[in-house]
Amino acid sequence: MNIRQHVVDSRLVKAKRIVIICCLLSTVYCLLSTAFSCVPQKEKIFKKDKILMDTLVTITVVSDSKDTAEKAIDAAFSEIEYLEKLSNHYSPDSEITHINRNAGISEVKVSYDILKLLEKALYVSENTEGAFDITIGPVIALYDFHKKIRPDDGMIKKILPLVNYRDIIVNRGRSTVLLKRKGMLIDLGGIAKGYAADKAADTLKKQGVRSGLVAVAGDIKAFGLKPDEKPWKIGIRNPEAKNKEDDIMATIELEDMAISTSGDYERFFLSGGKRYHHLLNPKTGLSANECRSVSIITKEGAYADAFATGIFILGPEKGLKVLDKLGFEGMIIDSQGKPHLTQGIRERIEFKRTVS
Amino acid sequence: MSLRELFHNTTLADRIIFSLMIVLSLSGIAFIKEILPDNSTLHIYVDGRPAYILPLDKNRVVSVEGPQGKTVVEIKDHQVRIIESPCHNKLCIQTGWVSSGAIVCLPNRVVVTLGDPDKHKKTVDATTG
Repeated sequence: MNIRQHVVDSRLVKAKRIVIICCLLSTVYCLLSTAFSCVPQKEKIFKKDKILMDTLVTITVVSDSKDTAEKAIDAAFSEIEYLEKLSNHYSPDSEITHINRNAGISEVKVSYDILKLLEKALYVSENTEGAFDITIGPVIALYDFHKKIRPDDGMIKKILPLVNYRDIIVNRGRSTVLLKRKGMLIDLGGIAKGYAADKAADTLKKQGVRSGLVAVAGDIKAFGLKPDEKPWKIGIRNPEAKNKEDDIMATIELEDMAISTSGDYERFFLSGGKRYHHLLNPKTGLSANECRSVSIITKEGAYADAFATGIFILGPEKGLKVLDKLGFEGMIIDSQGKPHLTQGIRERIEFKRTVS
Repeated sequence: MSLRELFHNTTLADRIIFSLMIVLSLSGIAFIKEILPDNSTLHIYVDGRPAYILPLDKNRVVSVEGPQGKTVVEIKDHQVRIIESPCHNKLCIQTGWVSSGAIVCLPNRVVVTLGDPDKHKKTVDATTG
């Protein structure tokens, strides 16, 4: 009886030991796996929205600390706010307003960023046969897309001579700008958002962010890789979509690149079966009608933004030639809904549904 | 064997391991909660400042005061829409029901954002166009 008891006891002790060893091993395993799975997971994605430049700006960054991320994002928001103050031609005291008010009168001293913006805008004008033209301001002023107001042909004819990018005189040495003729108006709406995305991304980098995504509405700048070491994935909106921004036609992965899209669905009204939208041809003063949407991918957001507008107005054939010449990538959806792609985008773009 | 007997049969090591396991499983829950996105909340911002953080599983109607007036937001069956807005173009109302992403009313500075319903299924990081 005693011996049997002893045997049972020793067996129990043995069993217990095995259980303890198993428990210890599994604990160690758990701890180790948690620790190792933590290493790649340590970096997280932080995202913040703010209404700036009359649109929704979303900044996403990869960081291992919430504080660092938020500080960097706030600094980038401030940069965009600063650019908005300089470039907004609706505000009474922006530098662009000063230039516009002194049109035909005197040259105006401007900051570095306005000088850069104007130089870039002129570069795009020269490469799009003037299809992109920031002096379109007086024509835009004749339209009201909310109130469905459009000018008659006579009014447009009278105003059109004021539209010519060659009448912007930029003096780099003195940092001054002069509009040659009275009544001229600069409107940076087609380039400022892309430029702001560039500058915001630079600010994030200066704050030590290694990877981020700045989206000033549809003008997007991406740099670095996500925590899973994959590039940022951007959706391109389907031009047929009705108000649903999540209706995506195609996706593309971007690393250290910018993408912008111009579409005839952004600001428009229908009248007499015709679509009047904000992408106005500087030669005619009317909405351009050869495309439905144009997406451009290149290093600089300012160029992606402005060329998207310019090529929308130029049309698919000429547009593709411009992109090839400059080494930019892009997708042009023509008025029939047919996509035209550059060689380089073909291998990278992923269509979600076939576009007829 | 009663519970007390069972307790007496355990050694100090047993108890340490037992409590360690409990701590570990609890921290596991906290860990997972930290990693998973809060997919069941709705954030409403007015002029950049958070006005509401609401759960999506409770149907209700809330209103916020923007610079132009009252914007009314409805939550129903994990979806959100704006039903009333003082803005002139009413784009926010036209957006309709939304189950992910955001609804924005620029004139009244109201931004409504939703957590992604399933982060793993999420297809894009941003949209152009």
